[in-house]
Amino acid sequence: MPLKDYEADMESCCRCSACKFIPLEKITGQEHSNACPSISHFDFHSYSGGGRMGFGLGLIRGRVEYTPKTAEVVYNCNLCGACDVSCKYGMEFDVLEPLYAVREGCVENGQADPAWNKLVEAMEKQAPVTVGSLGKRAEWHKGLKVKDYVTEKAAVVYHAGCLASTDAAGGKVAKAAASLLLKAGLDVGIAKNQELCCGGRSYEMGYRAAAMEQAGLNVERLKQSGATELVTGCAHCYQYYKVLYPKLGLDTGLKVTHITEKLAELVQQGKLKPTKAVDMTVTYHDPCHLGRLAEPWIGWQGVQRERHFRVYDPPRTLRRGAHGVYEPPRDLLKSIPGLRLVEMDRIKEYAWCCGAGGGVGETNPEFAAWTAGERLAEARATGAEALVTSCPHCVRNLAPSGSDLRVYDVVEILDKAI
Amino acid sequence: MALTKEHYQAFEAIVGPQRISDDPVDLDAWAWRSGQAAMAQDFKPRFEAIVMPETTEEIQAIVRACNKFGVQFKASSTGWGVYCDAGGPGCIKLDLRRMNRIIEINEESMYAVVEPYVIHAQLQAELMRRGFCCNVNGAGGITSAMPLAAHEGIGHMSGTCSISERNQLALEWVTPEGEVIRTGSLAAVGEWFCADGPGPSLRGVIRGNVMPLGGLGVYTKAAVKIYHWAGPPTMEVKGNSPNYVMQNPGNFLLRYLSWPTEEGRAAGIQKLGESEIAFGIMGFNPNMVAANVATSNEEELVLTAQYAKEIVGPGFCLVLMGNSPRDFEYKKAVLEQIIKDTGAASLKAVEEGDVHDAFVWRFIRVTASIRETMRGTGVFGGEVFGTDCYRVMSNFIQHSRVDKQDLIDRGLVYPDSIDPFITSLEQGQFTHSEVLLRWTPAPDVAEAAMEYVGKSNANAVNGHYGLPHHLFNDFQHDFFGPHTSNYTYWLRRIKKSFDPNGVSEASNHITAKDV
Repeated sequence: MPLKDYEADMESCCRCSACKFIPLEKITGQEHSNACPSISHFDFHSYSGGGRMGFGLGLIRGRVEYTPKTAEVVYNCNLCGACDVSCKYGMEFDVLEPLYAVREGCVENGQADPAWNKLVEAMEKQAPVTVGSLGKRAEWHKGLKVKDYVTEKAAVVYHAGCLASTDAAGGKVAKAAASLLLKAGLDVGIAKNQELCCGGRSYEMGYRAAAMEQAGLNVERLKQSGATELVTGCAHCYQYYKVLYPKLGLDTGLKVTHITEKLAELVQQGKLKPTKAVDMTVTYHDPCHLGRLAEPWIGWQGVQRERHFRVYDPPRTLRRGAHGVYEPPRDLLKSIPGLRLVEMDRIKEYAWCCGAGGGVGETNPEFAAWTAGERLAEARATGAEALVTSCPHCVRNLAPSGSDLRVYDVVEILDKAI
Repeated sequence: MALTKEHYQAFEAIVGPQRISDDPVDLDAWAWRSGQAAMAQDFKPRFEAIVMPETTEEIQAIVRACNKFGVQFKASSTGWGVYCDAGGPGCIKLDLRRMNRIIEINEESMYAVVEPYVIHAQLQAELMRRGFCCNVNGAGGITSAMPLAAHEGIGHMSGTCSISERNQLALEWVTPEGEVIRTGSLAAVGEWFCADGPGPSLRGVIRGNVMPLGGLGVYTKAAVKIYHWAGPPTMEVKGNSPNYVMQNPGNFLLRYLSWPTEEGRAAGIQKLGESEIAFGIMGFNPNMVAANVATSNEEELVLTAQYAKEIVGPGFCLVLMGNSPRDFEYKKAVLEQIIKDTGAASLKAVEEGDVHDAFVWRFIRVTASIRETMRGTGVFGGEVFGTDCYRVMSNFIQHSRVDKQDLIDRGLVYPDSIDPFITSLEQGQFTHSEVLLRWTPAPDVAEAAMEYVGKSNANAVNGHYGLPHHLFNDFQHDFFGPHTSNYTYWLRRIKKSFDPNGVSEASNHITAKDV
């Protein structure tokens, strides 16, 4: 929706600053009480959820223009949704949705990041949207006996995601994931070297039209596949297929499942049995796109039914981050013999972002690295030997060279145990 | 006056180029005003620049530069209140976000020293880990823990811990001329344990009746009293936002009590004060209870209707904390006796289970103030009355009931129950009252809200009820001054003496006009 459509939401911000901190009931000390990487790093109120409501209203009313400074503030946000969760503990309006809309405004007004202009152009040529990924789609599944669902019918589609094509670690995880699905006896197909970018990251960067076009190609192909379930290896792809596509009015007709959900189901059914001990203490990082952002889309339009009280016809239900995928990855870790799971201070719906979200990894690597550093310090404080997560973007951003803390995908750990 | 390039560069030289901005994006982020006491929901005047100091020395340098250039300044922390806004052009914002350190927690002398951007939830959490707690402002755990950052500092523990005036110890203050003054023991021996000696006190100057609200320099560090905590170091909280439920450690109990008459409530408050059993106490009406429990407006409507059927009249919420099993049993027994003796009804819906446990922690951490005030309509206002004995406040709010009912009957404010908020302080020695009005912004409503405050002021004067605490500007002070020994004469002389150039922006305090 255009920014103007969120005007009433944005007007509701009472500048209480709740968006800057994790939900207050969860604060156990001053350390790790911040929720938003952007305000934590840049300090100016404009970098917070509340501040973004303020200048967003300024944009709507023509008080503020789309300038390079506007773009700098807009794109130095991980779009992690932590502000949205903290705000909605007390209030009832959308904070995150206007942030997407203002990015669309940046693109429309020629203030998009040049790096992303190039990436989206590349995507429009049906390449993955990740830097350096052109022509590498065929690499991760080498040696794997798996169907090509573009040409053969398969019950389950496994969508590896762009990072699996470009990042050696990501490719390894994708291969392990597909192998585990096959080992469990599922009828799995992949698109091999024809896999398309889901288009989600271009949407997040404000290129709505490009995202719609890309999503349309995916929907068409998935509908033709005859499959009933789409399993994604990437948390971002999961969120886009599960949440963004319905938000854009698109429907693949397939049940969308993240690889951790599917593997947890297979372990529970006894189709996969982790029997080898993994003697390690780990902590789990909730990816934003698998956690708070993965709550199913709720489309709503209505009118206020009382003059002074904000109740609506039809009633408005807000997404608050409570229904993300939190337990399946933990269930998987707990199913592994010898493995000990310790939790960080900020988890689940109030987890601290890895730093890669919102395209920040591409537009401001320094800020992305700072955010990751904060998370790694929090992980170290638990005494864990390794940080485990379930998103290739998180793995890449949290595993800089020289780090003393090992970083794994859940799939890798499970693969070791089976 | 607008900032010149020279002014900007001078401020930039103090804080560095990354800590100052006059870009419209940064300015409008601070200029939007909705919510608290907003007569109309709109943009306020922009600050000329946002400046983000990190130390007392930087603030001192900025304030001196403001005096040199004739530029006004206004400092604030998390920024909720209207007093954080600019009153007009020619003013810079000192955003104190970078001053967020807990300087000291002194367990022996039972105080904590904080900078302005430490929030209550953070300080309370740190204290609980050490077996202590602090009074959290009624405005919520999200507000500054500094006992001078906002208004009176009335909170859910004020029944036992009183208000910020009583909890503030030594202070570091950058005056409007840029002088650094350290009060009480800090000035004499470099320690924070006392506000009033052996060094200078200045309590009346610094605080006044209702705090200067940003209009008399910048408070940079302060010590605040801390209190005993018998709960666990960290409270275990289950569930996902907003459905959090505390794992009750077994020594906490919450009750919402109501009485058929105001007399009954007064008797209940008196007996609770005499028995000293309550850890927390706060006047709530059924709607405020519902707002605490409900996670959405739809649910709040349902619960308000449900509770209203069971609640028999004016009431308040209280929490007991047991220091030992025996102590807890004793307190519960005393409470039962008070309920019996005064004819109170306890709201069954919040007595047990997850609703009870969730409410206890919400009450202690004070997390639902935004729900109570802002979630329903987006804006709240009304009157903030004084701190006096219970009977005086109780009589005063009888007038408020009538005036609020009139607005409800005319459809100008949300009919959330006319029961005013009234709460016991210092075990019933004092009481504070407020009347919450909530509405959707519109010109007729803004006019009605002003009319309501006018009636409230007239009631205060005609009934000899004393000074309210909504004295947020010259207009209000000028109304009450002639009825109250012309205190405005002295308040303006204080303002003029400490701020001869009028640079500490005082649109929510008092200006030195006519002095």
